[in-house]
Amino acid sequence: MLHKKSARELEDYLLANQEYIYRLAYSYVKNPEDALDLVQESIIKAISSAELLKDPQGMKSWVYRIVVNTALDFLRKQKRTVVVDQETLNSYTESVAGVDDYSDLDLAKAIEELTPTDRTRVVLRYYEDLKIEEVAFILKENVNTTKSRLYGTLKKLRLQMEEPIDVQSLQEV
Amino acid sequence: MSEKNRKENNMNEKKFDELKEEYEKVAIPEELDQVVRKAIQSGKKSRKNRQWLHRVSAVAAAIVIFVGGINISPTMASVLAEVPGMKNLVQVLTFRDYQFDDGLHQANIEVPAITGLEESGLGDALNQKYLEENQALYEQFMIDVKEMEALGEGHLGVDSGYMIKTDNERLLSIGRYVVEMVGSSSTVIKYDTIDKVEQVLITLPSLFKDDQYVAVISDYIVDQMNQAMDKDPNMIYWVEREGQEEVLYFEPFRQISPEQSFFINPDYKLVISFDKYEVGPGVMGVQEFVIPTEVIADLLVSNEYIKP
Repeated sequence: MLHKKSARELEDYLLANQEYIYRLAYSYVKNPEDALDLVQESIIKAISSAELLKDPQGMKSWVYRIVVNTALDFLRKQKRTVVVDQETLNSYTESVAGVDDYSDLDLAKAIEELTPTDRTRVVLRYYEDLKIEEVAFILKENVNTTKSRLYGTLKKLRLQMEEPIDVQSLQEV
Repeated sequence: MSEKNRKENNMNEKKFDELKEEYEKVAIPEELDQVVRKAIQSGKKSRKNRQWLHRVSAVAAAIVIFVGGINISPTMASVLAEVPGMKNLVQVLTFRDYQFDDGLHQANIEVPAITGLEESGLGDALNQKYLEENQALYEQFMIDVKEMEALGEGHLGVDSGYMIKTDNERLLSIGRYVVEMVGSSSTVIKYDTIDKVEQVLITLPSLFKDDQYVAVISDYIVDQMNQAMDKDPNMIYWVEREGQEEVLYFEPFRQISPEQSFFINPDYKLVISFDKYEVGPGVMGVQEFVIPTEVIADLLVSNEYIKP
């Protein structure tokens, strides 16, 4: 049945990486209460289905997959709204006042306005530095789908910004 | 994080890097560690409960044999019939439990058995079907494992079990699911709905006077799908839409099968079920549509099972 060793490894992983998990959850709900709820739900799911984790090497993607899908489920159940918390808002205002970085705010806003799934691809690929294959696994989609959707999203974001991001980089992945 | 990714980001996605810093700056609440530790404990508990259930299934198997024994011994049956709750008791138990795990490949197959329907032979027929299907599933799993081993790597998981959708004085709806995990997962659910009193299996066509129900229910569901998509852009069903821009990669859903998966819910409403990938992408999961009785009222044979 369950491998004691891999269950133990999973626990250690969750404890050691709790901040990453929290940040990922937070990126969906933008408030600590819901983020903590998501963390809790995700971890219960992960631990109680630890026997389905086949490859300890893939533990990170597997845990992320649970977090992302728990978060997407949560958002689907909620009315879709764009939530920006006070802290993020402050940090925007600070950077606007300080470094004169308008395009950053625009991009951030544009990313917030993406659908949760489109945003997930951006977050996982660019904030979490995951490979396209890992993003595809987490979102349970085909690698080509992930690639083309991400490409489409970047194109869309570029239209909304003054300074374009280089879409080229995607094709090299 | 890979060095290569990092470099690419630095060269091309400087914008994202700045946002990434913001992302990483999110304050970590003090209670996080506590929440994580508690969740790990609750997760373990629910895992233990499940293991405990597996052990119980051995006991359940013994009960099945015991109930089978009632028919053989009339004396025993009459004694038991006097015990409150033992007469006409239709119950679902885990009859057998297959477990396999070699680290890369896992199977967890729980076979249900229905007791209390011996009189009509329906119970035996269903139990036989459940056992055979699950045995076949397990055998196929073992073949797949061998194949994958021969090819070198790969993970495989099969999880099969059952859930009781309705269990009231009249009806028993039991759903049996098979989740297969190879990279992504697919889910298939089959339902059986039983009239406990008459001891008959209810099929979808048997509820209706003729086959008009296929078109009526299909139209209703397509309409519901369109409404859901209008309301929420995250909902995706593979149906044809007016002014559709995106190409459908799959054959669009137009009609249910005359033998479409269904069950009757505790409110005596008809529920049509679609497997994962049957009418939408994987994220949509298994889809259920409750059909309001007024939609099909004129087509029903009676209101015995489906009520307004």
